[in-house]
Amino acid sequence: MKGNYLGELEELVLLHVGILYPTAYGVAVMDEIEKQAGRSLNISAVHSVLTRLEEKGFLKSKMSDPTEERGGRRKRIFLLTAAGKRALEEAIELRTQLFNQIPKVALQFRLA
Amino acid sequence: MNRQPPKWADRFLQWYCRPELLEEIQGDAYELFYRKATHHPRQAKAQFVWNVLRFFKWSNIKRTKRNYSFNSPTMIKSYLITGIRNLFRHPLNGSINILGLSLAVAIAITTFIVIDNQLHADHFHTNIDRIYQVTSYVKIDKRTEEWSDSPIMLGPAMLQEQTNIESFTRIEYGSADIRYKQNVFNEQVWFVDPSFFEIFSFPILAGDAQGLKIKNQIVLESSIAKKYFGDADPIGQSLSLKFREREKLEFIVSAVFERPTGSTLYPSLFLSMDSFQDLQPDKTNDWAYKVDGTFILLRAEHSIAEVKNHMGSFVRDQNAASHQWMVDEYHFRPFKGLGLVSHEIISSVSQGSQMEGLISLGVIASFLLILASFNYMNVTVATVATRLKEIGIRKVIGAQKKEIITQFLIENFLMCALALVAGVIISYVFMLPGFNALFPSNILFEFSSGNIMFLFFAGLLFFIGLISGAYPAFYIASFQPIEILKGKEKFGQKSLFSRVLLTFQFTFAFITMVGSFVFIDNCIHLKNKDWGYQHDNLMAVRVEEKDKYLTLRNQLTSNPNIAQLAGADNHIGKSDDKITFTHHEQQIETIDFRVGYNYLEAMNIRLVEGRTFTQTIQSDEVESVVINETFAKKLGWARPIGQMIEIDSMKRYVIGVVADFHYEGFYDVLGPAMFRVAKEDDFNFLAIQVREGHMNEVQEQVMSLWQNIAPDDTYEGFVQDDVFASFNQNNNAHVQLLTFVCLITIILASLGLLGLVFFNTTRRMKEYSIRKVMGATGSQIFQLMNKDYAIILSTAFILGAPSGFFLVNSLIQKVYPDPKGANPLPFVIAVSIMMTVVAITVITQLVRITKQSPSEVLRND
Repeated sequence: MKGNYLGELEELVLLHVGILYPTAYGVAVMDEIEKQAGRSLNISAVHSVLTRLEEKGFLKSKMSDPTEERGGRRKRIFLLTAAGKRALEEAIELRTQLFNQIPKVALQFRLA
Repeated sequence: MNRQPPKWADRFLQWYCRPELLEEIQGDAYELFYRKATHHPRQAKAQFVWNVLRFFKWSNIKRTKRNYSFNSPTMIKSYLITGIRNLFRHPLNGSINILGLSLAVAIAITTFIVIDNQLHADHFHTNIDRIYQVTSYVKIDKRTEEWSDSPIMLGPAMLQEQTNIESFTRIEYGSADIRYKQNVFNEQVWFVDPSFFEIFSFPILAGDAQGLKIKNQIVLESSIAKKYFGDADPIGQSLSLKFREREKLEFIVSAVFERPTGSTLYPSLFLSMDSFQDLQPDKTNDWAYKVDGTFILLRAEHSIAEVKNHMGSFVRDQNAASHQWMVDEYHFRPFKGLGLVSHEIISSVSQGSQMEGLISLGVIASFLLILASFNYMNVTVATVATRLKEIGIRKVIGAQKKEIITQFLIENFLMCALALVAGVIISYVFMLPGFNALFPSNILFEFSSGNIMFLFFAGLLFFIGLISGAYPAFYIASFQPIEILKGKEKFGQKSLFSRVLLTFQFTFAFITMVGSFVFIDNCIHLKNKDWGYQHDNLMAVRVEEKDKYLTLRNQLTSNPNIAQLAGADNHIGKSDDKITFTHHEQQIETIDFRVGYNYLEAMNIRLVEGRTFTQTIQSDEVESVVINETFAKKLGWARPIGQMIEIDSMKRYVIGVVADFHYEGFYDVLGPAMFRVAKEDDFNFLAIQVREGHMNEVQEQVMSLWQNIAPDDTYEGFVQDDVFASFNQNNNAHVQLLTFVCLITIILASLGLLGLVFFNTTRRMKEYSIRKVMGATGSQIFQLMNKDYAIILSTAFILGAPSGFFLVNSLIQKVYPDPKGANPLPFVIAVSIMMTVVAITVITQLVRITKQSPSEVLRND
């Protein structure tokens, strides 16, 4: 089941690749995660996750045009695949389903 | 302003990163850098470096795509076959090489076993981590000594008051004449508490060690049991023990134990502490009386610090009872490793080897191993010329550099494995038994654990395999095949490395040799050292009872072969008492001999000034004392005669000063010593001065007389020359061991030299032939050949000789109090031996050149 399992960080990155469509690449994903989720990651960590997601088939990638701010180098643009979309849906559905099963009482917090 | 990321980091990234990932990774890193660089250039740089380092992970690292096929079994088989064939093709060279290496390996193995054995001494005791010896810090004369002795009351008192002690045992030595039927021997017995066998784990071979709880039971060591009972079952047998000035007592053998080889305690017979209390009832409840050792067993999970903090009351108890030896504090020595520090404790119960000795052994062994490996390397490099074609062909067929390296390394490991096997055999058959004979010891060919053995052998193989094989393998593999096959590879031109190596080798050789000679020189110096009196015509007999003493003395007085007779309480070299007294508020420690009237004359002690004891002067018995020179110096007396000291509140006047003499081997500094007159009742020894040339005769006569006078007692006569026998034996053993080491060093160094000289003459054969054709004489060629080696040798000497000297000299200074000073002899000997070796080696090659006809050599080209 290694192929289907989605880790927490993987899920976060996957979501952000979706959000940034069609300009998701390493630095952009890193910045966006910091902005949206408030988590600051190292660029190398983002790279590893992106590579892993691509290996699992949840992402595909292509090279962009050369850009000036990178000293004339190209970016690797990541895009969600169908499998990636399904994996996200499953993950979110599972969460909602589980959350709904929590009895109401457990969620009523009072000052005791 | 510099707006570029640090170049080195960028280059590092480019070097390690997989090419297909480089662009995006580098791109991201640059983007992050530029973003920050405008405002915080320094931070940006740091961040860039950090990112580069973070990207350095396995998934991003470049991997070579080449396929290695060399490790197929076929190739390894081929390498092995080539290696073995090559060994057989040059049997002389190969066997010299392996022999040299295996000698060094054998020494390394033997040394390792010895060191391993010593470091793991006493490990057969299961409780070893919880056993501690309680030692006393005694303050004497402004310095503190650590004594193995502790109050007889201490053990029981500690057990009573401290809950974290599980049990204790005291050890008190005694001496008894033990008889079984016709056999009488004098033995050292240990009085111990019954818990001794619960604390220590000496294996019980027969019977029950609980017997120690019962009075009049005795426990024997297996060799002692054999001595008395042979193969018969000793359990339940009765032995009669006779302690000095006591009635004969009967003891029943309750158990036989074994003393494993790794023990630093050397007990042979055990009696219970209760028996000691019967013998010396007045001592048992006296805080002032000290037993020879007290050991405690700590409860599991407790620390010794808890015990240590509650010792104050015991210090007070002891000091209130005894004013002579004031204890500063009690100290706890872990039993684990006690043997290694036993020389720091005065009259330690545990007796192990000094760490310095073990370290020196290890250093010598490593030196020899390195020497042998260098040798091997030199000869391998030199003889590779014979295999150039093979390497060329292999390379042309498609072998890569790495495969050639592998081939030579494998071949080399094969040789080293052979050397290892040979080394094990040499060590097992010759060296370890040799060592055991030299230093009377009984070390078995075994390791403290299987892991250590495996690690040692694997490490040894790896070490010699790599040191000796790495350079030749890399060197050989770097040849260009075309050059080799064309015959153009001018192999061996750049022999700088060989020379450096040879210099190293000879430096090591000089260090070892000069060091050994310095040490040997010191040993010989100690052996021939003046004892302070003439000892070769002296003998003595132990006679502990007055009537027997008188009978023996009277029967000997008329003997024409005997020059003088004297009785003594203590006998020089055999026994002495240490006492302290206060003089002008200074505490003085001195050796105290109590002797008969003409003892000093009989023992040839040299009188420096004053007179010795005279029977006609009545005061001599009660208030006279004869001192040695150190004594006078210590008290700062310019005119010692007539000076007064007070011992046990009795005044004593100095009547004579004698020259310093040795009383306890040569490891300790000579201290103050004095003589007092003893009563005949106290005599323990009869000293006999024999007339020149009658020593054997007199010995026999004394012995037969003794057997008539005291058939129940052991005869203990000895010649004075033997009192330092164990010291001399040790000393001789050192000399022999180091001579052996020197011999091996010389063999190794000369083997290496031979290999190299042989190779060099082969290489320059053409040159020498042309020189000969042009009219050069043998001596001219000899000079030519020697120039190189003269430089190498002198460099090695300049580097090696002083280091060897200082290394060993500092060791000697540490071990011996009165070492021999610096001396040119070791240097001269080392240089002349090396010169001879080099000359012989070069001359054999010179003979080769002279015999070779120049036309043969030149025609071949």
